[in-house]
Amino acid sequence: MKQYDAIVIGGGHNGLVTAAYLARAKKSVLVLERRPRVGGAAVTEEIFPGFKFSVFSYVVSLLRPEIIRDLDLPRHGLHILPLESTVTPMENGDYLAAWGDHDETRRELYRHSPRDAEAYDEYGRLMHFMAQAVKPILGMVPPDPTSFAPTDLFALLKLGKHFRGLGAERLHALVKLMTMSSADFLDEWFETDVLKATKSASGIIGTFLGPRSPGTAYVLLHHYMGELDGVFRAWGFAKGGTGAVSESIASAARAFGAEIRCDAGVAKVLVRNGRATGVVLENGDELEARTVASSLDPRRTFLQLLEPDHLPPEFVADIRRFKFRGSSGKVNLALDALPSFTCMPGIGRQHRGAFSISPSLDYVERAYDDAKYGEFSRRPYMDIVFPSMIDPGMAPPGKHVMSIFVQYAPYHLNGGWTDAKREAFGDAVVNTVESFAPGFKSQILHRQVITPRDIERITGLTEGNIFAGELALHQLFFLRPAPGWAKFATPVRGYYQCGSGTHPGGGIMGASGRLAAMRILKDGA
Amino acid sequence: MNYDAIVIGAGANGLVAAHYLGRAGKRVLVVEQHENPDPSFDIGWVPDAIVRDLGLVGAGLDIEEPDPWITAPLPAGGTLELSRDIGRSTEAIRHISPADAAKWPEFCQRMRTLASVLERLYLVPPPDIETNDARELARIAGLGLYVRRLGKQTVIDLARILPMSIAELLDDWFESNVLKGLLGALGVWHLKQGPRSGGTAFNFLHHHSGSPAGVFRPARSNVTQALSKISGLEVRRGARATVLAKNGRATGVVVEKSGEEILAPLVVSSADPRATLQPIALELDPEFARAVRNIKARGVVARGTLALGTTPPYSTLCVAPSLDYLEHAYDDVKNGRDSAAPYVEVQRTNGRVELHVQYVAPGSHGDRVQRVAGVLKVQPNQVQLQPAEESLYHGELTLDQILFMRPVPGWSRYRTPIEGLYLCGSGTHPGGGIPGAAGRNAAREIL
Repeated sequence: MKQYDAIVIGGGHNGLVTAAYLARAKKSVLVLERRPRVGGAAVTEEIFPGFKFSVFSYVVSLLRPEIIRDLDLPRHGLHILPLESTVTPMENGDYLAAWGDHDETRRELYRHSPRDAEAYDEYGRLMHFMAQAVKPILGMVPPDPTSFAPTDLFALLKLGKHFRGLGAERLHALVKLMTMSSADFLDEWFETDVLKATKSASGIIGTFLGPRSPGTAYVLLHHYMGELDGVFRAWGFAKGGTGAVSESIASAARAFGAEIRCDAGVAKVLVRNGRATGVVLENGDELEARTVASSLDPRRTFLQLLEPDHLPPEFVADIRRFKFRGSSGKVNLALDALPSFTCMPGIGRQHRGAFSISPSLDYVERAYDDAKYGEFSRRPYMDIVFPSMIDPGMAPPGKHVMSIFVQYAPYHLNGGWTDAKREAFGDAVVNTVESFAPGFKSQILHRQVITPRDIERITGLTEGNIFAGELALHQLFFLRPAPGWAKFATPVRGYYQCGSGTHPGGGIMGASGRLAAMRILKDGA
Repeated sequence: MNYDAIVIGAGANGLVAAHYLGRAGKRVLVVEQHENPDPSFDIGWVPDAIVRDLGLVGAGLDIEEPDPWITAPLPAGGTLELSRDIGRSTEAIRHISPADAAKWPEFCQRMRTLASVLERLYLVPPPDIETNDARELARIAGLGLYVRRLGKQTVIDLARILPMSIAELLDDWFESNVLKGLLGALGVWHLKQGPRSGGTAFNFLHHHSGSPAGVFRPARSNVTQALSKISGLEVRRGARATVLAKNGRATGVVVEKSGEEILAPLVVSSADPRATLQPIALELDPEFARAVRNIKARGVVARGTLALGTTPPYSTLCVAPSLDYLEHAYDDVKNGRDSAAPYVEVQRTNGRVELHVQYVAPGSHGDRVQRVAGVLKVQPNQVQLQPAEESLYHGELTLDQILFMRPVPGWSRYRTPIEGLYLCGSGTHPGGGIPGAAGRNAAREIL
């Protein structure tokens, strides 16, 4: 029987990145994917005949530029199309728009508040700088502050030096970003409610927090990270949907010699004498490997694929405590025609960007309040895009696809999710859009409603958390997924973790997968 | 009369600062806006160092140590009473949840260890992380080493727990709603946050500092009265004063009513930083002035008294039956209203029965008294409430406003950009709920 150098469990983007880097280093690598296609939560599927959807994750901004370079992804079909604008319809019929053109955005802001238009540039400069300051952290293995090992001490010192090097003002801004609520942070800069609502909405994505909850300010930075590299604008679409990102990484991995097997779900990791030796597939087949890496979330990686007695009890307790609490859903629609919004009637360039349904801070906060007590938001926050406006190949000629990211939809819904609840959730979404775009409902040809329960069922992400574990301060860096085990290794020798449940986590970033591959290679797989 | 220093405010922090300065040989005048001393007790830990340095025991310091320290009604009737003795509390908890009782002793010990780290940080000026001064760097390294010596678990707990919400922390440990409610209330104590907001676990530990293991309510004492009794201080009451500054230098204070100017090269204010600095805003750098304006200090508590006729059968009664109850109470104030069902705590202290009502919205709300009476199942005429406090702590104790970020980033060493003007109130490190600590740190920094 063939023994692979490495088996990677899960063909999501991180698993594929790990596989590609290992294969690039001339290792024999096998990727095992449970579903019929690679991608995990970054997939494109033709849900209704002729209509293609980025079923789950739908925008790209954080994919690490070094990965794009190292794996030569554009050659493998990666093509990012910019998402140009964001329009926020307001409840009084007005709107707030951010356009691709900076000066135009400033003029638009000036219409709402001259003071905010002034502050906007300064805010942008600070956030750019902060994003730059945080970026190196994304590419580093978190040092363990509880360890006395020289490498950890050295890394901690280096980290301290890096932060001190920012200078006082920026260091303070960083502390504020890490600890404040996005609403409070934005209050220090702006007065226009709809601007604060729209900006802070980006701070709550994938979390079980509202814009007034401390810890949400940090995610504001993410908007400025993608932009920096000169590769992308803030957010973009992959041509062919986000599945095309996964396909391009898979193609790169195959070109380096990796083998990718779909319809091959893994039931268990084989452990002999405290060492991972391979995997057992759901169909009973056993496969051997010198190294096994799991890109699944921490709960599945440790509590499902291993037997509890393979792991120290305190580690098991830490993993059990790791929080998922999925809070977002998705509604994918096939449309006969594009909807016209009251605030900006007609069809135009606004449809090539996003519509953010975040008319006020109170609106978003109320949406959270519903979820806090176990209900889906009656009037949810939504991020709406029309991928067929940017990539016409996504829908039949003249028709369109509409992607609605919805928050909040708690995984632990009172009474549990049922088919009827799912449809009620879908109705709440559609009715809310209708209130901003009358007549929109009659343009719907087909509707797919995805609850966190569905995300879990289809992609395997525990509790439907889109980041494979909440991105809360106490679950980041050396605490992700558990103290002492944030360096991609696990208590089982030869078994590694490479998914978004490890540092730095979440988004189609690929950083976890890359760092894990580096670690595996360093350990001499 | 010439003074070396003028201290604004005769609360615990102002008096402590004044005494330390006086003992170092400075001629100090304390100016206080109120004519009469406040008879109510101070809430919070009085650090031993202050008691010792100023001889407060001899001045009649009285620290209340109620036992049991809290009583909470149970939904099915009866009460849960927690004692200063961990064993007795464990037994009491066993009646409502054996699982929680089993965890109580370890929980108490772990929280005590974490609070002891805070205590150590609170008795010295906050670490200056921007410094290049070798002595300060050595001090920071020393603090780091101290924490590491407390063990791996403590380092992990600190990093994990401080940014957490109190709800997450308590859900990690306990199942009983009543227990989580009465502990969770300390996490949101004086904070415009609900128990599910990040940073409330820190607020919980902050208010645990100074208390023995297993006691999760701050002590009450007559520390301000004791401080007033110590001789050697000149205090002028009924004199609301503002700072005078010229060309970036403090020159003294002016008494508002009379317009009298009292000159001194050193002015130390225990008042709210915003109130202290606002009158001299023109002297300040705009960035600094903006930072001062941005201090979050949103009061959400109304205090008052309860007339019962008899001595109540408890020392402290806590009405916060669950975390959801607290969260709902917060939702209301978040939306600009008084809590429909507020968190109410009744404390027997100093011969009076005092009330703590949270959350209240700014402005007057006619039926607030009725709601509180409803929660306590008493007649409205038994409840007397003062107007809502603007902010007891001159700045909320949130993670972005502590240590080197308090009162404003970069100015945590009690200094201000105005030469000779210092701050020493609870708006500075370590913040409210530790009467005298900021005053002592400031005086030592000045000296």
